[in-house]
Amino acid sequence: MLKFWKATAAWRISIWTTLAFAFGTALAFSIVYFLVAKAIQERSDAWLSGEAEVLVRVSVNTPQDRLYNRIVREVAELATQELPDERNARGQRLNSVFFLENDPNNTAGPLWVGPGLEADFQRAIQRTNPVPGVPQTIRVEGWSTTFRVVTRQENGRTIYLGLSTRGARHLLRTLTGLCLLLWGSTVFMGFLISYLSAHRTLLRVQSITNTVARIGSQDFGERLPQPGNSDEISRLAQTFNHMLDRIQGSVHELRSVTDAVAHDLKSPVTSIRGVLESALSRDSDETWRDSVAEAIEGLDGLLCTLDTTLDVAEAQAGALRLERTTVDLSTVVRQLVDLYRPAMDERHHELIIDIEDHIAADADRSLLNRILSNLVENEIAHLPVGCRIVFRLRSQKGSANLVIEDNGPGFPPDIASRAFERFVRGKQSQGHGLGLAFVDAVVRAHGGTAKISGSPSGGAVVTLSLPAIVFPTE
Amino acid sequence: MRLLVVEDDLAIQRFLERALEESGYQVDVAGNGKKAESKALEGIYDAFIIDLGLPDIDGLDLIAKCRAQGISAPVLILSARRSVDERVRGLEQGGDDYLTKPFSFAELLARLRGLLRRFSAPQSDSVHLQAADLQLDLVRHEARRGDQLLQLTPQEFSLLEYLCRNAGRVVTRTMILDHVWRMRIDPATNVVDVHIYRLRSKVDQNSSTPLIHTIRGVGYVLKHA
Repeated sequence: MLKFWKATAAWRISIWTTLAFAFGTALAFSIVYFLVAKAIQERSDAWLSGEAEVLVRVSVNTPQDRLYNRIVREVAELATQELPDERNARGQRLNSVFFLENDPNNTAGPLWVGPGLEADFQRAIQRTNPVPGVPQTIRVEGWSTTFRVVTRQENGRTIYLGLSTRGARHLLRTLTGLCLLLWGSTVFMGFLISYLSAHRTLLRVQSITNTVARIGSQDFGERLPQPGNSDEISRLAQTFNHMLDRIQGSVHELRSVTDAVAHDLKSPVTSIRGVLESALSRDSDETWRDSVAEAIEGLDGLLCTLDTTLDVAEAQAGALRLERTTVDLSTVVRQLVDLYRPAMDERHHELIIDIEDHIAADADRSLLNRILSNLVENEIAHLPVGCRIVFRLRSQKGSANLVIEDNGPGFPPDIASRAFERFVRGKQSQGHGLGLAFVDAVVRAHGGTAKISGSPSGGAVVTLSLPAIVFPTE
Repeated sequence: MRLLVVEDDLAIQRFLERALEESGYQVDVAGNGKKAESKALEGIYDAFIIDLGLPDIDGLDLIAKCRAQGISAPVLILSARRSVDERVRGLEQGGDDYLTKPFSFAELLARLRGLLRRFSAPQSDSVHLQAADLQLDLVRHEARRGDQLLQLTPQEFSLLEYLCRNAGRVVTRTMILDHVWRMRIDPATNVVDVHIYRLRSKVDQNSSTPLIHTIRGVGYVLKHA
């Protein structure tokens, strides 16, 4: 049972709500009960006061002759019967009423109308010593229920009119029973409703659990059903589906990256193996040297691809560790252009250097060098002989903008929009398709942006924007 | 010259031992940090080659321990971590050097020699460098081949100076980029080769004996014949 209790939230939820509900309704019923009890007593007190008033008037207005006792008694008896029919099932009168008049001048003694013995009532009245005009409760020997008594004093006479509380008690008892019955059934209904609704709701959670378990062990393509409404559980399903979409995307990407890496590694490994194998099958030592050198070159290229792959993965995962220093971008770009100038001269490219001085950024110098060399090598690798390349560095509104523009064939339209993605490369490209992805990742890590576009002449434009350090101008 | 190679990978350990001995060094090896520490504390080594990924302790801790014991011989750090630790960079500034795996043996040798040279004697910093009939005046930035003054750009002069300082030893393209251009990049193009061709065309053009030689698959060397 305890296990069951712990295993289902529906039970716990419904038990707690039922407890709270039961407490609330009990409070409400108690208040009702209290108000009704008070109303009953007020009603009987009002009746008593009214009747006492009548009797006092009768007793005052009736001459003290020998008929006095008879008249008052008759009026009192009439009054006691005036109450609505309040008899129980056996025909007993529930509301026993008594009337007592103590008059020291009345030679016939006290005037008594009522059930039981006058003496018992006299004693009970003496004990409580009631105040005239205020209804009070007295307890009479031989009676299980108490009496409410109203006392009036007029012309030396004292009149007591009493009413048994048995009727009121009976009424209240019936009320209590009814209240308890109502309360019990309300609480039960409440429990049933809350349990069923919690159970229903949690069944949906259970179905999500089942589906997710299935997705975890089998099919990544499956999705949770998403009902039209947008309550918490639907949102949970939605969030889950969204997450699954992303995971599936990542898995897919990982697979394609792995495929691409495997492909990129396979071909050089195959060619290196071929070179070494053919070297082995030859006899001459001198040709071995060439083969070994070729193999080493192949391995170096392989290593470069591997390193870049890992670097890009690291950079895109945001795990790049930047060693920031104040870097003079103008100098860095100039140095890089100087380094590559002979290689570009060789291909008869015309260089236009348009670099503003003293543009500084808080950046990792070696990473900057690497991405800039990536970009320049891209130009060298993809431009036909005799192009014009413009390097333009400008500082604008706190950002340093480097533009590398050429008048070559531009980016192939099919890759222009995805050029910064990994393993995206043009059909003619000999590269590994990682260069621009790395550039983008590094620039982002520096809080900048990289974008590519086309120049008016149809060439390619690469724009890097980095946050610049602004020195106060003197 | 006596070296201690601290490396837990047996294949690399043997390869280093053999290659370094072939290059004329006396080599001891240690496969873990504990053994390395006790050997290092003998104080008989001129340099250490330490792999950072040791099975028992971190290579950097080993270096710190040795330094604390007053062992001041230079350390060449080998690291499999591609993104080089900042602490390693710190050490590098303190005079030591690092290499990331995989490395070319030529580069290891060059860095080792650089360390030993820096540590053994204060740089005999002459204003002249000479290799065969090539003469460099470092103050006036002039280079002569025989009697002939070579017309070099500042970049070409720096490149020739670097080759000259390492005359007889192979330098890789990475080393050239690192030392002449102060850039640690892996060019996929022939950017360095173009510089070398240009330099060569000026240095070796009018001479029957070329000085700048290409070692395929490795790099370049400046040597006589």
